[in-house]
Amino acid sequence: MRGPWPAVAFFAAAALAPLVVRDAFLLDGLVLILLWGTTGAAWNLAGGYAGQVSLGHAAFFGLGAYAAAILGTRWGISPWIGLLVGAALATAFGFILGFLSNRLRGPYFGLATIALSQVLLIVASRWRAFTSGSEGIPVSFRPGFWTLGIVDKRVWVYVILVLAAVLYVVQLYLERSRRGYQLAAVREDEDAALSLGVPARRLKVAAIAVSAALTAVCGTLWTQYVGFVDPLYVFSVDLSVRFCLFAILGGIGTPLGPFVGAALITILETSLRARFGGIGAGLVGIYLIIYGTALIVTMRVAPQGLLPWVGALLRRRPDPRPTG
Amino acid sequence: MSLLSVAGVTKRFGGVTANRDISFEVAPGELVGIIGPNGSGKSTLFEIISGFYRADTGLVRLDGSPLTGLSPDRVCRLGVARTFQKLRPFAGLTVVDNVMVGALTRTHDVRHARARARELLDRVGLGEKADAHARTLSTGQRKRLELARALATEPRVLLLDEVTGGVDQRSIPGLVQLVRDLHRGGLTLLVIEHNMRVITAVAQRIVALYLGEKIADGAPDVVTRDPRVVDAYLGQAYTQ
Amino acid sequence: MHAIPQLLASTLLLGGIYALIAVGLTLIFGVMRVVNFAHGEFLMLGMYLAFWSFTLLGLDPYVTLVLGLPVIFGGGWLSYRLVMQPVIHASHNVQIFTTVGLSIALQAIALVLWSADAQFVRTSYYAVVVRFGGVAMNLAQIAAFVVAVLFTTGLFAFMRWSYAGKIMRATAQDRHAASLMGIDTGRVFALTWAVGITCVGAAGVLLAPIYPVYPSIGLQFVLIAYVAVVLGGLGDMVGAVIASLVVAFVEVVGSYQIGTAWKEVLYLLLFIAILVIRPAGLFGQRGAEVIGT
Repeated sequence: MRGPWPAVAFFAAAALAPLVVRDAFLLDGLVLILLWGTTGAAWNLAGGYAGQVSLGHAAFFGLGAYAAAILGTRWGISPWIGLLVGAALATAFGFILGFLSNRLRGPYFGLATIALSQVLLIVASRWRAFTSGSEGIPVSFRPGFWTLGIVDKRVWVYVILVLAAVLYVVQLYLERSRRGYQLAAVREDEDAALSLGVPARRLKVAAIAVSAALTAVCGTLWTQYVGFVDPLYVFSVDLSVRFCLFAILGGIGTPLGPFVGAALITILETSLRARFGGIGAGLVGIYLIIYGTALIVTMRVAPQGLLPWVGALLRRRPDPRPTG
Repeated sequence: MSLLSVAGVTKRFGGVTANRDISFEVAPGELVGIIGPNGSGKSTLFEIISGFYRADTGLVRLDGSPLTGLSPDRVCRLGVARTFQKLRPFAGLTVVDNVMVGALTRTHDVRHARARARELLDRVGLGEKADAHARTLSTGQRKRLELARALATEPRVLLLDEVTGGVDQRSIPGLVQLVRDLHRGGLTLLVIEHNMRVITAVAQRIVALYLGEKIADGAPDVVTRDPRVVDAYLGQAYTQ
Repeated sequence: MHAIPQLLASTLLLGGIYALIAVGLTLIFGVMRVVNFAHGEFLMLGMYLAFWSFTLLGLDPYVTLVLGLPVIFGGGWLSYRLVMQPVIHASHNVQIFTTVGLSIALQAIALVLWSADAQFVRTSYYAVVVRFGGVAMNLAQIAAFVVAVLFTTGLFAFMRWSYAGKIMRATAQDRHAASLMGIDTGRVFALTWAVGITCVGAAGVLLAPIYPVYPSIGLQFVLIAYVAVVLGGLGDMVGAVIASLVVAFVEVVGSYQIGTAWKEVLYLLLFIAILVIRPAGLFGQRGAEVIGT
């Protein structure tokens, strides 16, 4: 799946859809696909391109969500400011994580990321005075662009589309640029990369910090869209794994992969919800069984994800850029 | 004035002293060989010079400025490149991409780096394989790739770790010629080598290590006749 | 202060159970170099085994433990063959996501089959409290502790003296050399995994009378177990036991001083602190966690 055409098609379709589609349900699906795709792409910067597999990215998502929600409900500050504050906080935590990534490899780093997201979850759900505890925070809705109080889903599509496009371009940059080559070397073999003058440590930290900031931005936007912050969801390990899932299913270390993965999963979820109506615990369980099994099977059959796998099938050549 | 100077380097791992008070100099343009039996500390020395290990005591200097304590990537950017005994190509990348990683340390321009990489690949004889995936290369080809990659960083001193190790007999002369050409081109080389025929043919000087200590340092024909070296490493039959 | 004997008793009781969970985890890591993210789910399944045996068959958990051991072992073996074996030689990332996938799938299956409602195993003796020298202890906890200790001791004996145990230790030290010596590392991995799962499944059965049973209970225990495993040095079984006591102590004292709501934060911060300061743990080999071997 080389070349820009699949991506052009995807973004063009997303951009044109609101002009053609009126159905709120379908537009909602599109917003979610774009939003989750963007979050997956942000994860991909650290997990796919830098090879630092984080299982705790919900920490950053939640920081973005809470920053905007708290600043908005307590002090009436615009969620755009909240977005920046969330991104700044996430960057700080991203640096901490980056520091850890230089001391720990693979699974140990994954464990540390889970621990970090759990700490934030507990703090957010217990610190009643500041965060309203486990009840969460309903986001105040004030109509207007400055307050991100947007009712028209078509406008939401365009807001998120901009961010999605940015993330696509950032990933593309990472593939083609000098830093991209260096990062690829780091994830293939860090010591060999060091011996060639690649500043591996700094690059990993930078990748994680940028990934963190962008994930937080997604968290802010999502909160404003959905209208509610629930600490038990927004900092959860389940959510963190979702972010990984988008990139892994669609194509880890490819720019369009996370969007494809997000599209597949969102379509699955919305169609299941439409068929069975309402969200009961049983339904959530079914998605999760599918995701868990999909992860296991993907790792077995196509560890690089769907896009590279299909691409290899089409070309009948081995996968170009493994990150494992 | 030496280009690379190693002075009093000592490194201990728990109870084992891998390097004990090692000192020698490498003059600009020299090709110095390092020999010694397994466990004599040759690889440890390379790890210390290239910045992967920190010496307990001692100093390593490049053209007067200290290298000890610097991270490996800084050491490389200052001008010391190395190859690895256990080859470490970036398996998931193409051959030319591999070399580009090295080239991008000296240039920020990706196209320029690619051109430079192709040049170097031609020079080491891998020109035709430039767009192949690195994992498809044979051992001998991987050795050349490793060499090209290190050269791409435009080093002032190149550390070669067992460049003929594991390579079939027919390919050795080609590799040796390559090393000679690099040396003739003015590159300073420090070469770990087990193959005595190879090292005595190319080295101007040989440093012999045994059990972490330097036991000889001089011209190849002198060192290979040194009784301590013969005893520790070569065996009587060699000198006959 | 008369709180101290109580704190120590509680530490011991809790630590004994954590040790059983941690020991299985560190064994799997030590021999197979796999960080099993699904370990908590096998604990959860053990708890449900005890619950359903109790509810449907009227079996006391301790009876379930004895009768169910082969079932748990078999489940472990099966999960290895189906899920882990295909990726045992793959990269770390692939293995991470495989066990994460397994974790999600197992939790979800429990959720779909048995709902998220918390269940309780109320044996006839569950509320009995034993008082001894100023210390009050729950009988079920004491029993769980005793069995956990027996189990762990049995495991150590197995590892030390049995042929299978020796082969496992050899594979842990150098799998390449072991296979050169004719050891079927595939079988060793299957056995190790099954043994590790049996330990944590047994711990689940033991915990069922003490804790509420619900699909996501695995996470809190597995995090605690990982703190203990990392603190004790990954792969070090004795270290895991000692570290489990340390973690239990931190939790008990933390609960006492700052209340149960925040005690989880305490050991999570402890975990991050260990990872920052000395990732090799108290007894592990320094640098192993960076090299990743």
